[in-house]
Amino acid sequence: MPGADKETDLSERIESFLSELKRCGSGAGSLRGSAETARETTALLRRITAQARWGNAGELMEIIRKEGRRMTAAQPSETTVGNMIRRVLKIIREEYARSRGSSEETDQQESLHKLLTSGGSSEDNFRQHFTHLKANVIEAINELLTELEGTTDNISMQALEHIHSNEVIMTIGRSRTVEAFLKDAARKRKFHVIVAECAPFCQGHEMATSLCKEDIETTVIPDAAIFAVMSRVNKVIIGTQTVLANGGLRAVNGTHTLALAAKHHSTPLIVCAPMFKLSPQVPDTPYNHTKLKSVDTILYIHILSKVNAHCPVFDYVPPELITLFISNIGGNAPSYIYRLMSELYHPEDHEL
Amino acid sequence: IQSRPRKADKDEEEKPLQAVLVADSFNRRFFPITKDQPRALLPLANVSMIDYTLEFLTSTGVQETFVFCCWMASKIKEHLQKSKWCRPTSPNVVHVITSDLYRSLGDVLRDVDAKALVRSDFLLVYGDVVSNIDVSQALQEHKQRRSMDKNVSVMTMIFKESPPGHKTRCEDDDIIVAMDGKSKRILHYQRAQALKKLHFPMNIFHSGSDEFEIRFDLLDCHISICSPQVAELFTDNFDYQTKNDFVRGLLVNEEILGNQIHMHVTRDGYGARVSNLLMYDTVSSDTIRRWIYPITPEANFADQEGQSCTHSRHNVYREPGVSLGHGSQMEENVLIGRNTVIGANCTISNTVIGANCVIGDNVTLDRAYIWNRVHIADNVKVKQSVICDNVEVKHGVVLSEQCVLAYNVVVGPDITLPEGTVLSMHHPDEEDDEDEDEFLSDDNDVGYSKDKTKQKVFNPAEVGSEGKGYRWKSSSLDDTEEDELAECIWGLALSADPESDSESEVSEGSHDLGSHPASPELDDVKVFQNEVHGTLQRGLDENISCDNLVLEINSLKYAYNISLKEVMQILMRVVLEFPFQQQGAQISTAQYSSHLLPLLKKWAPVFKNYVKRPQDQLDCLASMEEVFLECETHWAALVKVLMSMYQLEILEEEGIMHWFNQGSTTDKSQQLRRNQGLLKFIKWLQEAEESSEGDE
Repeated sequence: MPGADKETDLSERIESFLSELKRCGSGAGSLRGSAETARETTALLRRITAQARWGNAGELMEIIRKEGRRMTAAQPSETTVGNMIRRVLKIIREEYARSRGSSEETDQQESLHKLLTSGGSSEDNFRQHFTHLKANVIEAINELLTELEGTTDNISMQALEHIHSNEVIMTIGRSRTVEAFLKDAARKRKFHVIVAECAPFCQGHEMATSLCKEDIETTVIPDAAIFAVMSRVNKVIIGTQTVLANGGLRAVNGTHTLALAAKHHSTPLIVCAPMFKLSPQVPDTPYNHTKLKSVDTILYIHILSKVNAHCPVFDYVPPELITLFISNIGGNAPSYIYRLMSELYHPEDHEL
Repeated sequence: IQSRPRKADKDEEEKPLQAVLVADSFNRRFFPITKDQPRALLPLANVSMIDYTLEFLTSTGVQETFVFCCWMASKIKEHLQKSKWCRPTSPNVVHVITSDLYRSLGDVLRDVDAKALVRSDFLLVYGDVVSNIDVSQALQEHKQRRSMDKNVSVMTMIFKESPPGHKTRCEDDDIIVAMDGKSKRILHYQRAQALKKLHFPMNIFHSGSDEFEIRFDLLDCHISICSPQVAELFTDNFDYQTKNDFVRGLLVNEEILGNQIHMHVTRDGYGARVSNLLMYDTVSSDTIRRWIYPITPEANFADQEGQSCTHSRHNVYREPGVSLGHGSQMEENVLIGRNTVIGANCTISNTVIGANCVIGDNVTLDRAYIWNRVHIADNVKVKQSVICDNVEVKHGVVLSEQCVLAYNVVVGPDITLPEGTVLSMHHPDEEDDEDEDEFLSDDNDVGYSKDKTKQKVFNPAEVGSEGKGYRWKSSSLDDTEEDELAECIWGLALSADPESDSESEVSEGSHDLGSHPASPELDDVKVFQNEVHGTLQRGLDENISCDNLVLEINSLKYAYNISLKEVMQILMRVVLEFPFQQQGAQISTAQYSSHLLPLLKKWAPVFKNYVKRPQDQLDCLASMEEVFLECETHWAALVKVLMSMYQLEILEEEGIMHWFNQGSTTDKSQQLRRNQGLLKFIKWLQEAEESSEGDE
């Protein structure tokens, strides 16, 4: 039975992806970039679309939701996975609407009138069967993948608009997006980068080495020196792990300190974040945004059981500390994030 | 797309990584708990220990695991079949192999060899190892060594650097390792437990390396990378029972077998074996404190339904359905299983509570490990204790440190259990006279009736007026004079006095060997000397021919692994001391020589068999000198011995002259050489030589 084969193959792939997600980040820092995770998730969703058994859009969405819940549960701190699932769900909705011929459905303008009239009825309509739906959805997912491939380039293309000659720029830890951004600017302009090392994993050291190779003048400082050095800085450019729905950030530990110092010195804080990091989550208690890693790195000898060691990985940065977001579709203020959100995701998909 | 199949081909060439998991401890450390449940299935932070081990193996890339079980094998098998490891999508294929005949690690590995299960290098772990160490580097080094040195290195042991005082160090497992600093080869391996003196055989320092490390700051993680040869070696040496036997055996016989053991020391990661309840306590609390990241309670790595828990501040984990009464506090490091109900005004810290437990009001729990379906009534205090499944603790009970309530026990009401109390539904005496296998099928009702027929009643002073259970002997201090089988379940605290732990390792037969590491060579030499003496004595008594004596001595030589040179020296010594042995040490010189000379004559063929080259003669003479130096009074006899040996053509004049002219090192040997008789003899020899030359 080739069909059964296909299905076991598919579930095997899902399982291996899940276990990889669970183990991801066992070393210092996440070993894979979130861009890679986004691509892998999307590719897996494409495979599910192609190989799973479904008759209509409703069934497909149900399958993707079910797998999506498992994937997000496997590594709750990796929001990219959930974001990509929501994007794919939105694609299915759009393609379904297009097949039905009512392009009005794609119009996501939220109005009071619409909220009153729509109510749940759309879900029933997904039961209709269309022969071309599968091909169309896969085509659209492929487009999404192409978009993902180009995100970093799209962001770094904007570098020259933001970095000027002889500026002093501060960043923290290592973000692949910021790295590409700075390197792109360095092709034309001379500037100085100060990197906060981001202990205890010290990704900042890697960042500095990488920047040095491109002949960028680089200084590494300990995290404690951020405030002291901030007075000399013209601009702070950071990456982030997630952009939350309110325009806040969940970023590497120490970012909040950095943002507060920047605010104090009125230094603009620019966040480089591709669109796939945009998550419909809202911050609740600050603690829920931290992923606690092994404390082994900070406390090598643990003689006393009385000593408690914690090693949080993420900080929550409130939106009022952020000046500008640079995403692959351009620069936006934090207050505009809600709008982008409603363009990217369907409101019904916010909860998977 | 094209690169993928190629990669798969390569993997096939490299062969999938295999592992042997021994899901049995082969000791009774966890008795009486393990009477009802095998150790590998005991819950550690609400997940069976074997799941931790399998997760570790899977995350290191093991693709095929053989689980060997003996004690309660059916339970382990059942557990594994239900777990995620036996799902068709599991990246790690688990095979369960059961037999009642396994009595040690040695039996298991012999079976591995007999069934030819392993095809290449494999990981060897116990079913109670909790670890997140990345062994890929060690694996690579191991493979490299094997390809470079033609399979000389058979095993790589993984050690975690953890200085004395480290929490995961358990005193039972303290080891001293001597290693070659460059090649990481283990030269000497010894348990340091309760030893005040340490001996290192000298030969380890002659192994040609100029860099040695002797380390005490290592913790054996009980993870080893073995080559298939290991299983073969266990088959060849049927007396190897434990890994300790194996390692020591291999090191002692290194020159003969040519096998080496290497080590890999890691600083990162976590690796510990739950070898006693103290370690259970440590590892549980480390799990909750997230030392074993990414293996944390909320990761739900075992993928069990309903086990997903939430993690909040101060390391408080809650599974779904937990209800917490008004005013109850979960202070820190607490894990609470699903559907557990906790009453009002409780204080809970550093505690693991299993699923479906009911806990009353005003309960204080500190370092308590409460398993599933436990009922705890009001006003109970528990400190550092283990409470197994289905236990009922009635109101007002106080459990002091290191109490163990095994399955189905009922305690109370209003009783204070002293430190180290162990209660079980099994009577302590029943263990020896009953077939162990019976317990596999027995449920507890049968146990009850049996107990009744034996006229054993529960002692209310021990378990309370409504209590059910028997008190096992208290574990910590008084077990030195108690029976040897019941080992102390809690192991030793770091501060425990060293005397009490001598009993705790009895089940491992290697212990005796390990604690008397006097250089094995010396022993062999002594024994050999005695044997030679015995042989000669018998030869004399029974008039055995010299040829047969030579044959016997040769076979002794192989049995004790004695070099030819030593054989000669010992033979010389034995013969020279022979009169003393027979007649007592007080005999006069004249008597001595009159006894000795006939013997020399009689055994001349034996000597001739061994003394052939000029070097042999020198060795022989050196040994003779050594003997005579020890008994100054008989120096006069030396000349006679030399003379007769010369006449018997055992020694030649060149040899004697060479020996005589050799620079003597000590005053005493110079004195010996100035002996009148000897000088005369030498002079005579010289003259004889000259005259013989003149003749020619």
